[in-house]
Amino acid sequence: MSFSSRLVVVMCLVACGFQQVPLTGHRGAQARASDNTQPVAGLRTNTPAVYALKDVRIVRAPGEVLEQGVLVVRDGVISAIGANVPIPADARVWSRPGITLYPGLIDGFSELEISPGDRPQGAHHWNELIRPEVRVADRYQSKPTLNASWRSQGITTRLIAPPQGILKGRSALVATGDASRAASILEPDVALHARLTVPRGRGRNAYPNSPMGAVALARQTMLDANWYQQAWSAFRSQRGLPRPDQDLALEVLGAYSGSGRLVVIDAPNELYALRADRFAREFSLNLVIRGSGREYRQLSAIQALGRPVIVPLNFPKPPNVGTAEAALNASLESMRHWELAPENPARLSRAGVSILLTRSGLPKAVSLLAAVRKAVQHGLAADAALAALTTTPAKLFGVEDRLGTLHAGKRANFLLTDGALFATKTKVLETWVDGRPYENIPARNDPAGRWRLVGQQETRPLLLDVTVAGEKLSGAVRRAENPDAADAAPATPLLRLAAAGDRLTAIFDAEAFGQKGVARLTLVLFKKEKWSGRGQVIWPDGVAEKITATHNSPTRPGGGANREKPPQPAVTQSKPKRVREPLRYPLGAFGVLQQPEQPEHVLFKNATLWTCAQRGILRNAEILIGGGKILSVGRRLRTPPGTRVIDCQGKHITPGIVDCHSHMATDGGVNESAQAITAEVRIGDFIDSNDVNIYRQLAGGVTSSNILHGSANPIGGQNQVIKLRWGALPEDLKFVEAPAGIKFALGENVKQSNWGDEFTTRYPQTRMGVEQIIRGTFQAALDYQQRWRDWERQRQGLPPRRDLELEAISEVLGGQRWIHCHSYRQDEVLALIRTLDDFQITIGTFQHILEGYKVADALARHGAMASAFSDWWAYKFEVYDAIPYAGALMHNAGVVVSFNSDDRELARHLNHEAAKAVKYGGVPRQEALKFVTLNPARQLRIDRYVGSLESGKHADLVVWSKSPLSTFSVCEQTWIDGRRYFSRSEDLRRRESVRRSRTRLVQKILASGEVMLKPGEATPPDEQLWPREDVFCHHHRHVNGHD
Amino acid sequence: MIGRFVCIAVFLFGSSMPVVTFASPEIPGAPQTAPIALVGGTVYPVSGPTIEGGVVLFRRGRISYVGRKRSFPAGTKVIDVSGKHVFPGLCDAYTNLGLVEVNRVRASVDHAETGQLNPNVRAQVAVNPDSELIPVTRSNGVLLAATVPTGGLMAGKSAVLQLDGWTYEDLTVKAEAGLHINWPSISPHDEWWVEGTTASRLRQSTQALKALQQAFDDARAYHRSRLADASQPTDVRWEAMRPVIEGELPVIVSANELQQIQDAVAFAVRNKVRLIIYGGYDAVHCAAALVEHEVAVIVGNVYRLPRRRDDDYDAAFTLPDRLRRAGVKFCISGSGRFGAANVRNLPYHAATAVAYGLPKEAALRAITLSPAEILGTADRVGSLAKGKDATLFVANGNPLLTATRVESAYIQGRRVVLSDRHKRLWRKYREKYRRIGQPE
Repeated sequence: MSFSSRLVVVMCLVACGFQQVPLTGHRGAQARASDNTQPVAGLRTNTPAVYALKDVRIVRAPGEVLEQGVLVVRDGVISAIGANVPIPADARVWSRPGITLYPGLIDGFSELEISPGDRPQGAHHWNELIRPEVRVADRYQSKPTLNASWRSQGITTRLIAPPQGILKGRSALVATGDASRAASILEPDVALHARLTVPRGRGRNAYPNSPMGAVALARQTMLDANWYQQAWSAFRSQRGLPRPDQDLALEVLGAYSGSGRLVVIDAPNELYALRADRFAREFSLNLVIRGSGREYRQLSAIQALGRPVIVPLNFPKPPNVGTAEAALNASLESMRHWELAPENPARLSRAGVSILLTRSGLPKAVSLLAAVRKAVQHGLAADAALAALTTTPAKLFGVEDRLGTLHAGKRANFLLTDGALFATKTKVLETWVDGRPYENIPARNDPAGRWRLVGQQETRPLLLDVTVAGEKLSGAVRRAENPDAADAAPATPLLRLAAAGDRLTAIFDAEAFGQKGVARLTLVLFKKEKWSGRGQVIWPDGVAEKITATHNSPTRPGGGANREKPPQPAVTQSKPKRVREPLRYPLGAFGVLQQPEQPEHVLFKNATLWTCAQRGILRNAEILIGGGKILSVGRRLRTPPGTRVIDCQGKHITPGIVDCHSHMATDGGVNESAQAITAEVRIGDFIDSNDVNIYRQLAGGVTSSNILHGSANPIGGQNQVIKLRWGALPEDLKFVEAPAGIKFALGENVKQSNWGDEFTTRYPQTRMGVEQIIRGTFQAALDYQQRWRDWERQRQGLPPRRDLELEAISEVLGGQRWIHCHSYRQDEVLALIRTLDDFQITIGTFQHILEGYKVADALARHGAMASAFSDWWAYKFEVYDAIPYAGALMHNAGVVVSFNSDDRELARHLNHEAAKAVKYGGVPRQEALKFVTLNPARQLRIDRYVGSLESGKHADLVVWSKSPLSTFSVCEQTWIDGRRYFSRSEDLRRRESVRRSRTRLVQKILASGEVMLKPGEATPPDEQLWPREDVFCHHHRHVNGHD
Repeated sequence: MIGRFVCIAVFLFGSSMPVVTFASPEIPGAPQTAPIALVGGTVYPVSGPTIEGGVVLFRRGRISYVGRKRSFPAGTKVIDVSGKHVFPGLCDAYTNLGLVEVNRVRASVDHAETGQLNPNVRAQVAVNPDSELIPVTRSNGVLLAATVPTGGLMAGKSAVLQLDGWTYEDLTVKAEAGLHINWPSISPHDEWWVEGTTASRLRQSTQALKALQQAFDDARAYHRSRLADASQPTDVRWEAMRPVIEGELPVIVSANELQQIQDAVAFAVRNKVRLIIYGGYDAVHCAAALVEHEVAVIVGNVYRLPRRRDDDYDAAFTLPDRLRRAGVKFCISGSGRFGAANVRNLPYHAATAVAYGLPKEAALRAITLSPAEILGTADRVGSLAKGKDATLFVANGNPLLTATRVESAYIQGRRVVLSDRHKRLWRKYREKYRRIGQPE
């Protein structure tokens, strides 16, 4: 559609007085006085609000196009639409050939600013991050400038979510028209919004201060909401019961479980999407995932969830690869993300995921349409893009009867464009909201072209050349050589050239026209079929010459009008090619295409087998595995046909290494440190399958790892034992047979000795207090159990509330959950043993236990096992008596001893640690190796499955180049469940693949011409920055911070 | 790096600390009186080929003979070490030994002076000879160590110690080994403990680099003015930098990133100072510049994680061998992790480099003669050669293998006690279990 034909409409609207509808008190053209309760002040207005657009192309819905049709709007609603619809007599009619109408776009997510602590007054939840009672509808204010910005991108409706908290509150669906607030809020209560994490840096006193804690709090709160309903109904039906406390949050939340009401959960990366789904399933929530733009990384898993996804369009700038030094620091992951992120919407859509699009997350300068167009260029079907902005959100938000398509009876929300909506140059000329048109580009006559000005005094006309570049006008004037001439004398530039309203004005130096001074030009423009103008030139001598103007064709681009555009880099701007390369997982270096195959049978022969079982070390022996299990161990084994044979001449094979104390592969923060007891917190909620340290530790022979909560509190969170199945998803990393466990801690960390001077009040501050709080908690759990037993028996009184913290402790008391207790000094160790004895609890392990050697006899009597460091000491006061002989002393006393890493690096050579048991105290070599294989397996109660080379156990094993206890030995292969997850030769191939991919992507970035990230511009996502180590256990880094 | 230190310091020095006095009860070795000959063992001179059934003879603290000849001066104490192995004392070129007892007991920490410009502080004078950490280190054959100040942009001067003696002067092999500079971090390194935004850290780095150049300019101006007029008022900071300006004392720059290392080399060349790189993770990427300008690298720790997500998992393990192949002079330090407490594990860092490609001889050299050469103490220690200090030990095997035990050790010919805090506590509690009838 040409610029000038658009003007027809604009000018008609102006002519109809339409544009000047007063904003104050305006209730939208559709609202009649009888439809609202407010008394009329002054005169009643009854301007008809009936409009017909004809000769337009109408995209009624994705894939449903009327090539030429009529749209009739009456009182804000589409009253008729079709190819041959009669136009009502009272309608104002515009013929708009060349114009396409699209349904108004619905933005799937935006946030409202509500200042912190701004919860409604009343009975709040005790935790300020639990605020579901917050309703955006109660806070929303319609802001004309903001509305205009949304409308200019074609958005007529948007979802506004509350911005803060874990359970954040409820969103509203609002129209972007400038109607009153009451009229703008289409749906006041669309969805509950949640974010199952907290930002870093909440401080050490604010619970929760970790993502793990956030989920635990949300989980407990959902349970509390159910209990709240039961408690109140019991209270109401039975006289004389104590009244439960009122809680606005719980009142609101009760409506969500199982009800089908929408719950939107933020998913800051693809793993969070899976976590959100787990949470939603736990509480039967109707989940909508608010995505991150990284969903393509786990497409099939996300597809399998069957949840709608609100997809952002925040396509990243490429990382800086401009210099060799900078390129060194650009990760393959960031480069691949740059390449693939624009395909995310397309990939989700093609996979059949129901997607909504949102402007949220885009920089201010990038419009929604520009971003959607990029997604379309990268493969998103135009209809799918339109659906994601119209029908899908309309249906999801329950407003498909009113919004989403252009059908009779729906609200008159639509766009006028001059072409296909997702074509690069198409402009959204107008956006209609509730039957009211809004121009997106302010009306202005476009005077570009050559004007011929015929005056009274001269037969030779003045030639006026006007060019328009963006908002800027420029031009020149000269005298034609003869009345008909096109060429002319040298031109005089026009100054102060302006086109305001229907008027074109300028001044110019009159010297070329035979006068000294400045001439003034005014033209009033008229448009019928062609432009014409009438006006005058006032010459310096004061003579006003009346002139008549006629207009020729506008100056076309290329005619010098486009000089402001910067030259494009010499880069081919062809349509981007879809990335065909299959995706690896994780996306960064060393990711895998799929889980390694599990050969039916594999025989390792000619190896030295460290069985870690009764048979000890077998030389020149064989081990046969199949179906993920060890089938037989010995010599001259019978092998089924087709067995794959691996010759291990000169090699040693050991069971896979089991690390009994690790904090890798979790992005949940390791420590929920704001409370002394956080038994409800679960590491298992935050297994991070993207952590490359899984791969690095595989390369050191580790096959199983106990991911523990940190040591910030006497009773910390629940641990998660994993297998190092690199490339698998979090749930598939879990060692499902491993029994549950929980972290306890004693000593300096829990009494905050080294936290800083301001931490002197949280109970406990002494080892005396530590003993008491643990004892008190066990007692509380017993009381809790009793209360439930009473309830089950009598069903009287208020129903008890489920308490996940005390439930976890109850499991400890019941022997279903094993304690792994951080400990150093002998007194605290002994005190805990005595406490546990009193409650008939056997401890799982003492962790660190560096003075365990002083009370090895007591450990043995209790049945306590010890998971220690081999030789760390002197990093804090309570470990000044730690000695490397501790392992041997405890071992000799009959304690099951393991050496663990507690460190991402050390875990890579736990075999070196085992060797220290030989060095310090002379533990026999086979027994020493058990310190990192069988013994940790026993400590984690998984020795029925792993820890030794015995038939029936999992085929988790390591092939070493030399004796595993030799520092010269290299881990060559690591097998888990009969699958080879690591081998040196495969690793070399992966390095080569990483190198090739990096080279290709660096070239692609350089060739793209895109602006690269400046140094320091990119900030890593929060989840990458959660510690993967116990920050309260400060033995990890050298004091001056070198790693 | 500086910022990181500050952040950690808060953790470390947070609370009121008990005042504890630490003194190891191990008595320093008595001066050598008679010549000693270690006979029949396998001798690893490092500076020459291994000698099976060899002899090491030393008198008055100095080695007087290494070879196979079995004729000794009168009064020589001949010790049969057949089946054993004799090595020069191992040396860790970057530690905080003697400057810290317990990391989190602030009263016992002395390696990080406050302020950014501390060229004048000297590690030597704050070494506690009675630190319990020293005998523990010695027990595993690590008889020599540089001890290094760490605070600020210019941290101060390190000293090379021998791990036996009554006073810090007794312990000193070289009072000033180098001026330590913590090179500002240039590329963004995002870990949870790093404070501030990347952009703000980059700004800080730029400022720090300016401050560093300014300090050298000022020191040079001071040096010139003092040469011209010795009565000029003294500035202890610039006074301390005069041997650096003169090229007598090297600067030892902590740097791991490529750009840091490149910038440090350019800085050293521009300022005409001798440079040693400590850390050196990316050093291979600019090996040619290091070779050309004769810059040696103290590999700061073999047991470390790859710095970048995309790096080979064994990047740190293979670093020593990659440096060797590139012709860069290097030695291996075990420092960086676990503080001064586990300097004893130095040989296992070298051993891991062997597992990942470094020849065994080169690995032994990287923890004996190479650190001595780099730190400027090769005239006295680092190899078994005539005229050098008799600082050596006898082991029952290759010290790079964990199970190997150090059986005796000499520092300047003094037989040193190989007991330590750990063995004492071990003995104590073995006695406990003996009394309750537990079999050993």
